[in-house]
Amino acid sequence: MKKRLTAAVMAAAVAATALTGCGGGSASGGGSSSGGNGGAAPAAEAPTEPFGDTIKYDPSVAINDGKDITVELWEWGSDELFQQVIDGYQAIHPNVTIKLVNNPWEDYWTKLPLALDGANGPAIFNVHNSYHENLINYMAPLEIPLEDLEADFTGVEAHVIDGKVYYIDYGMMTGAVYYNKDMWEAAGLTDADIPKTWDEMREVAKKLTIKDGDRLIQAGLNFNDDFHQNYLLGLNYQLGENLFLEDGKTPNVTSDAMKQVMQMLVDMYEVDGVGSKDFGEKCADSFGQGQSAMVMQWGHYYNTLNTTWTDINFGVFEIPTFDGNPYAYNRYNGESSFGINKNASAEQQAVAQDFVKYFLANDDAQIAFNLAMSTFPAKKSLADSEAIMANPSLSILSEHIDHYIWPGPMPATVETSLKTAGQNIFFNGMDVGTALEEAQQSIIRDMSSSSFTSVEHLYKYAK
Amino acid sequence: MRRKISTIALNVLLIVLGLVTVYPFVWMLSSSFKQNKEIMALEQHLLPQFFTVKNYITMNSRFNFMRFFANSLLVTIVVTLAVIYTSTICGFVLSKYKFKGRNLLFGFVLSTMMIPWCVTIIPKYSMIQNFGWLDSYKALIIPALFSGFGIFNMKQHIATLPDEILEAARIDGADEFFIFHRIIFPMAKNGISSIAIFQFLWTWEDYLWPYLVISAKEKQLLSVGLKMFSGQYSTDYGALFAATAISIIPVLLIYVVFQKQFIAGVASAAVKG
Repeated sequence: MKKRLTAAVMAAAVAATALTGCGGGSASGGGSSSGGNGGAAPAAEAPTEPFGDTIKYDPSVAINDGKDITVELWEWGSDELFQQVIDGYQAIHPNVTIKLVNNPWEDYWTKLPLALDGANGPAIFNVHNSYHENLINYMAPLEIPLEDLEADFTGVEAHVIDGKVYYIDYGMMTGAVYYNKDMWEAAGLTDADIPKTWDEMREVAKKLTIKDGDRLIQAGLNFNDDFHQNYLLGLNYQLGENLFLEDGKTPNVTSDAMKQVMQMLVDMYEVDGVGSKDFGEKCADSFGQGQSAMVMQWGHYYNTLNTTWTDINFGVFEIPTFDGNPYAYNRYNGESSFGINKNASAEQQAVAQDFVKYFLANDDAQIAFNLAMSTFPAKKSLADSEAIMANPSLSILSEHIDHYIWPGPMPATVETSLKTAGQNIFFNGMDVGTALEEAQQSIIRDMSSSSFTSVEHLYKYAK
Repeated sequence: MRRKISTIALNVLLIVLGLVTVYPFVWMLSSSFKQNKEIMALEQHLLPQFFTVKNYITMNSRFNFMRFFANSLLVTIVVTLAVIYTSTICGFVLSKYKFKGRNLLFGFVLSTMMIPWCVTIIPKYSMIQNFGWLDSYKALIIPALFSGFGIFNMKQHIATLPDEILEAARIDGADEFFIFHRIIFPMAKNGISSIAIFQFLWTWEDYLWPYLVISAKEKQLLSVGLKMFSGQYSTDYGALFAATAISIIPVLLIYVVFQKQFIAGVASAAVKG
């Protein structure tokens, strides 16, 4: 018995070693994610002159009086991306050690507030604005003057709370239309057919649709599963309607604009027949599987296509409008700069403040983060950067990027209630008006205890 | 004849159920040798159309797989051995000793099984934080030393052992520790096997608690590492399946080694003591 157990454990260890051992050495390549902070990081060049636009970072200023200090940075994304910034910072300040702690996205939001509540939480942490209400009470305000932040970055005003800013957006993510170039060509379409209006879009979608009798073979346009995110919460702006009324708290999802958008989606499937609720359960996957010719997706999809759906020959164009002269093109959401833990020691907070300043002043870091997330840079000086313009999902946004609106960190109920409304319309035969009215009541009910207030009035071209 | 037909029918049913149960596992194993685009393709095949071992080679790029594997093995073995010992000794006391409050004590042990973990996890976290045990294996091992299920199971199992054996040992001059270690322990082999399998499996698979209390990369466990393949917007299914395929080897081996005793142990625990 003992022998069998020993043999079994040894066999497991040997099998695991054989299967994984060969990957150990070369996996991290130029990055240092697997090496921790024990000096394994590649030597990054340390700048000696101050750099940045209005927010200037002076590398000659010693941190923590040159004494050794260690802080943690918690994040959920790519280790290599964060480690590059850390390496650059540590090259300037060798007395500072920043330990990177990677987390799974989903449960990060359970662990982080628990850790921030105690004395041993991370001094620096990655933020997503959808968890704003859970985190804001643990955050220290940035020490960078508000005017400097506003001079360098767009959308800062929306983050001001009682005159203080706790984090800002380094990038803006929004939707664009991805199309399959091979299907486009097969349908006899050229670049000149890229639609500018929704009417043109519907015509193009019809040409891209392939049917065998009544059976759909190829959808011209697919919006299954995420129509609420990509259409309902955004196209209302094209028609001049905000998502919230003047008080910033009452939802406006029963507006005529919302009804018009919802009806257009219904007509695309039921009148034009360019897609079906039963064809391609998730539009993003359906496009990748070569089943649908066009999908509207947010920026992250560009990376998904390049990593998962490598066989798809795709192009991307800006979202069409109803009349070519929209109030705003769409909604955007920001990717946030780091948060600073107000419960960390004063020394650690000083390092965290300095690190955030370094991150915001550093153009290379800004470009790397924006490209990694496929977000348009919020840093004004990078709007026409060559590296950014080389990414087609970002270059198509550049002309009208100031015509996108951020409504603020909306509670999840806004999305989920509109998703339910759409499902009720498509699957349960409910009429558009009733479904949106139900969504309106559901959002009001769920938001009764929320502190959320819309910042739509801060839009540059607000009426 | 009728008996033969019913035996055949039963076997066919069991084979079908077995296939249904095992198919997702086989699919996962096979998919660990596929590219992500094939895993998510519209047309699915059980066997890879394009065979690749890249997932096994690159899964280390997310985390140090072998380190996490060894950490998990260490914590799981320590916790399993501790639980086996504490459950057996508590089960022995509760089933073979008669003392005031015995049933109350047993009821208290049972009640620990009836409180959902999600209710206790926050206070447990606060306690661990106050003890200064965060980011230490103490946080994983010490709270797991006693298992309500283990004690219950071993009490039921040991109750089936005849009292006469213990009395004979006492008459021969054996003290209580001798009786426990040299008589009860070997005779409770089946019960111990079932506890060992359950505890090993639970500890090996446990995700949320290790994730909450351990932060240092070099101390993290495999179950947490597996979650790292799921990103904000996408999941690296190929690497996830490759890592999962390897991570289940120890569990599989433990079950293969102990399966006879496991079945006997579970059966005996079902007998009223």
